[in-house]
Amino acid sequence: MEQQNFKVKKNMWKEVKRFSSVYALIVIPVIFYIVMKYTPLWNAQIAFRDFKSVRYGIVGSPFVGMKNFSEFFHSYYFWPLIRNTLMYSFGKLLISLPLSIVLAITIYECRHRWLSKTVQTLAYLPHFLSWVIMYGILLALLAPGDGVVNDLIKLAGGKPVDFLTNSTAFPWIVILSDAWKEMGWSAIIFIAALMGIDVSLFEAAMVEGASSWQRVKYITLPSIRPVIVTVLLLKIGTIMEAGFNQIFMLYSPAVYNVGDIIDTWVYRQGLLDGRFGLATAAGLFKGVIGMLLVFTSNYFSKKVTENSLF
Amino acid sequence: MKLNRKALVLATALAAVGSFAFAQGSSESAGSKTTQDAGPVHVTLWYPATQTEVGPLPNDWVGYQIIKDKFNIELEAQTLPSGTQDQDVKIQAAAAADDLPDMFTAGREVWLRLANNGMLADVTDLYARMPNRTQLMFDDGAKKYTTLNGRNYGFATPAAVSRNEGLVIRKDWLDKLGLEVPKTTDDLLKVLHAFTYDDPDGNGKNDTYGYGAFVETNNYEAYPGRRLEPLMGAFGVEGTWNMTKADFGLQINKPEFYDFMVFMKQIIDDGVIDPNWMAYKKDDFRGAWKQGKFGCFREQNSALHSENNYAPFDANFPNGDIIVIDPVTGPSGKASVGPAVRNMRVWCISAKAAEQGKAEKIADLFEWMSYGEGYMLCGFGREGVEYTLDANGNPQSVPGDKGYNGPVGQTYIQLRNMAFNYTSDMELASRYPSYTTKVSGKHMSSLETLHNMQGRKWTDAVGMESMPVPSTDLKTFYEQGLAEFFSGKRELTKDNWNAFVKQFNDMGGKAWEEEGRKYAEANGLLK
Amino acid sequence: MAKKQNSLKPQTSAVVKLSKADHAFSIGVDIIMAFFLIVIAIPLWSTIMLSLRPSTFIGSYLQGMVLPPWKWSFAAYRSLLGNNGFLLAFWNSVRILIGGVACALVLNIPLAYGLSVRGLPGKKWLTILIVIPYVFNVGMVPTYIMVAKFGLTNHLASVYLPVAINTYNLLIMRSFFEGIPNELRESASIDGCNEVQTLIRIILPLSKAIILTIGLFYGVNFWNNYFNPMLYLSKDYLRPLPILLRNILIGASMNEFVEARAFSDAPVEAIKAASVFMSAIPMVIAYPFIQKYFTKGTLLGSVKG
Repeated sequence: MEQQNFKVKKNMWKEVKRFSSVYALIVIPVIFYIVMKYTPLWNAQIAFRDFKSVRYGIVGSPFVGMKNFSEFFHSYYFWPLIRNTLMYSFGKLLISLPLSIVLAITIYECRHRWLSKTVQTLAYLPHFLSWVIMYGILLALLAPGDGVVNDLIKLAGGKPVDFLTNSTAFPWIVILSDAWKEMGWSAIIFIAALMGIDVSLFEAAMVEGASSWQRVKYITLPSIRPVIVTVLLLKIGTIMEAGFNQIFMLYSPAVYNVGDIIDTWVYRQGLLDGRFGLATAAGLFKGVIGMLLVFTSNYFSKKVTENSLF
Repeated sequence: MKLNRKALVLATALAAVGSFAFAQGSSESAGSKTTQDAGPVHVTLWYPATQTEVGPLPNDWVGYQIIKDKFNIELEAQTLPSGTQDQDVKIQAAAAADDLPDMFTAGREVWLRLANNGMLADVTDLYARMPNRTQLMFDDGAKKYTTLNGRNYGFATPAAVSRNEGLVIRKDWLDKLGLEVPKTTDDLLKVLHAFTYDDPDGNGKNDTYGYGAFVETNNYEAYPGRRLEPLMGAFGVEGTWNMTKADFGLQINKPEFYDFMVFMKQIIDDGVIDPNWMAYKKDDFRGAWKQGKFGCFREQNSALHSENNYAPFDANFPNGDIIVIDPVTGPSGKASVGPAVRNMRVWCISAKAAEQGKAEKIADLFEWMSYGEGYMLCGFGREGVEYTLDANGNPQSVPGDKGYNGPVGQTYIQLRNMAFNYTSDMELASRYPSYTTKVSGKHMSSLETLHNMQGRKWTDAVGMESMPVPSTDLKTFYEQGLAEFFSGKRELTKDNWNAFVKQFNDMGGKAWEEEGRKYAEANGLLK
Repeated sequence: MAKKQNSLKPQTSAVVKLSKADHAFSIGVDIIMAFFLIVIAIPLWSTIMLSLRPSTFIGSYLQGMVLPPWKWSFAAYRSLLGNNGFLLAFWNSVRILIGGVACALVLNIPLAYGLSVRGLPGKKWLTILIVIPYVFNVGMVPTYIMVAKFGLTNHLASVYLPVAINTYNLLIMRSFFEGIPNELRESASIDGCNEVQTLIRIILPLSKAIILTIGLFYGVNFWNNYFNPMLYLSKDYLRPLPILLRNILIGASMNEFVEARAFSDAPVEAIKAASVFMSAIPMVIAYPFIQKYFTKGTLLGSVKG
């Protein structure tokens, strides 16, 4: 038994040695990564402390256990915050991700070169419209007073709708406007993946008489599946971040009940009020949830698609 | 092989550029030396710029040399971020990382937390070093504003002209429709109806509204906020608090608040308020009245009538005329533009700076900026370059780019916030010169507008700006509740309203009110 | 390749008659494409028109979108480009961009490559080590404390060093490297290449598109980062473009000194809209180059064949 164990170890050592040049290649980036990412993670212990300033030391601040966490958990709005956060992040995942894949594939498949070039060149630009600008556009389209959509509704004899301050319409506005702004940008990565597909596969399929749709289904999609899975798993890891900048710009008291997410709450209660222990605690909580989801979905993805992060 | 070499060269070049970029940045961070006999004292200052858009105080500002010669101080002035929320975040994050500058400015809530956390220097004894500034600005109220446990941890200076807003109305619309200036809430309702449905601009389209607003709140003007205060004032519920001895408490707990809600709801349901009011931000609101979308609103004197701001409206409506009116009177005879508070800003010296023995130096510098040479230099620039004195001895901006109102000259008065007292006639006259409008050729003066606004009925609420603030959840509940009554998601009935107020009080509203009472009594704020 | 290329997808030499279903598919693609084009063009067009709007404009948003050329005003662009601090801020942004992208690529490429090597012992744990900080976004202050401790405040590097390895970008790059057939690497090692040589000779030439794309992602992120410079760069002369843009925007709208709007006769909306195009500069310059590599996606196949 002991000998066997030794043998395994020896083999492992041999393996490690075989890859020594790979380790040499990654050692600097790994150290850099650990320093830049784990130092803040170490500093995140302020979530468990009554932290005021580094002036008094991080370890020097009194330990308060789960006090910051329980303040967050016992917020009157804790459950609505969780619900809204998940609603937006899943909604965006379910709508934006497929849309960007469809966009990438249509750009790839389109037979009119000018059209596909034009769309490809323009599609990423809305990403650069800040939410301040997007708000202006949404207001122009949807404002109850003189918005374009409401003008049309009024022309058709309907009653104007206050899209931006109405709690039924608001979630849709958030999710769709995000898809509108970001789909072209997210499609870039899928376009890059599509470019790597081996053309000989298509040739073979065409000789065998596969239709266009079949080629998309059996060659194109499976070829970019590893990238799709990677993107999906990574997005699931940050599922608790529902898009602070967007919601912060769009929401107002009239839609707090469906608009307030963890990050906006943390901004008001934690950052503006200088309560960084609380803000960090909320960040750690989000991380725990994200971690659980990443490990679970990674496990299933490995089983089902044989693609995984680790 | 050829490719290999190319790639190697590229990688090396990238790495070289990377390390170059890494090494760049400021190299003279060694400047934070403590007081030494020979070398000058280095003082870093975070200040809110007068005009963020024109750029920071130039390095060749003569003040730097004067300060060095006079006080042996090497001043490094750094502008704070432009938005107040970003300022709060930056200052508090810097405090947490122990990275505060020697002197900086903060709002009261941030100041209070930093003082409580021991990040600020005790400046109680420094008032004596600043006789002129103390006489000008630091009365009892200002001292109380920065007092914690009997000691002062900052200097509160005025931050804005007070009572500089008013209820305004489109006089040309009233005249066209043959209406009088509204005096009561009933009159107002009629006027708003006419403004909305009787085509006051005569363009044949139904595209105008009566009242215009947007949601602008702070700790003394709770939701729905400042732009609706004149309507709240008609019911005596203006401001977050009622600060009278007889009737102290949160306005939302007053029965009259329900009357205001009913009135407001009627305005909304009749469609006589621009329905975008809940969605507008400040820019949208100001853009809207310049386009003639509504005829009655609350606005600030110079946003309304100073040359640059009035110009687009003047070009669009040469016959337009926006006048300041008395706030309308409600059923019980009350009227108010809103609560008038003292807008103050706290200048803090960090505890670190005091430990390094810089506090006295900073006080001397601060005093120098409050009168004479330092005041004129920080507030108006150099005589003959950025300003000239007119017959009354008031500074006037030199015409063109170099004057203190021009894009170049403005960079030299970025420290104005450290010098100004916001009350003297000289400052007001220099800030609000009269002019003739380009298109209509009217004579305008936003100074006259200011005096007009200041003479209207305000509620004296000095001290309300320092009252305790509610928890985030309570504030959310308050704002969301009112917004839902306005939007119709909750039906506005006496029962629903009482249930809402009761729940608000149970959630912590009562406790907040009691906390406020204690604070107000302890600081003698009740009137 | 002499043949005219119709779609981005490399056309095959095999001549196969299109079936009806294929025609339907192709029309379907065109329709979806047209839909995307319209949807994308609306906000872009309206932003351009907004940036050209004169301060005296009256009318609805729709009317603003068909503003005739003789009413265009370039005041917004004048006030951005003519700002005293524009050149300096632009230069600072360029320095951040170059330094940041160089650092990011030098760090990301080897790491992504290493993590893509099949059979590397400890790879799983390394990946988990890398995913953890990505999921635990602990926020502003713990990072600020680190930046201050390392003495990085008031150095341009503070903007990009803490985010020089973005896990999302890193793992995407890895998954592209993983897609490169293993035989290629093995043949390289049989030829006596070490890992560095394999990376440079085999992997990099095949991955130009993804490396440029990821480099672009980093570049755009550094270029538009407002928050890090706001926190870490207090010295005025170090401030990059996003801070200047924000100063112009907010300075124009909320200020005690509203009477002295310094020089811009452009409405605030126009300045907001014009600033969008400032933030898209690196993208607009770099993307066409990258697209060149996108259309050469046949590379992988041809090497293999």
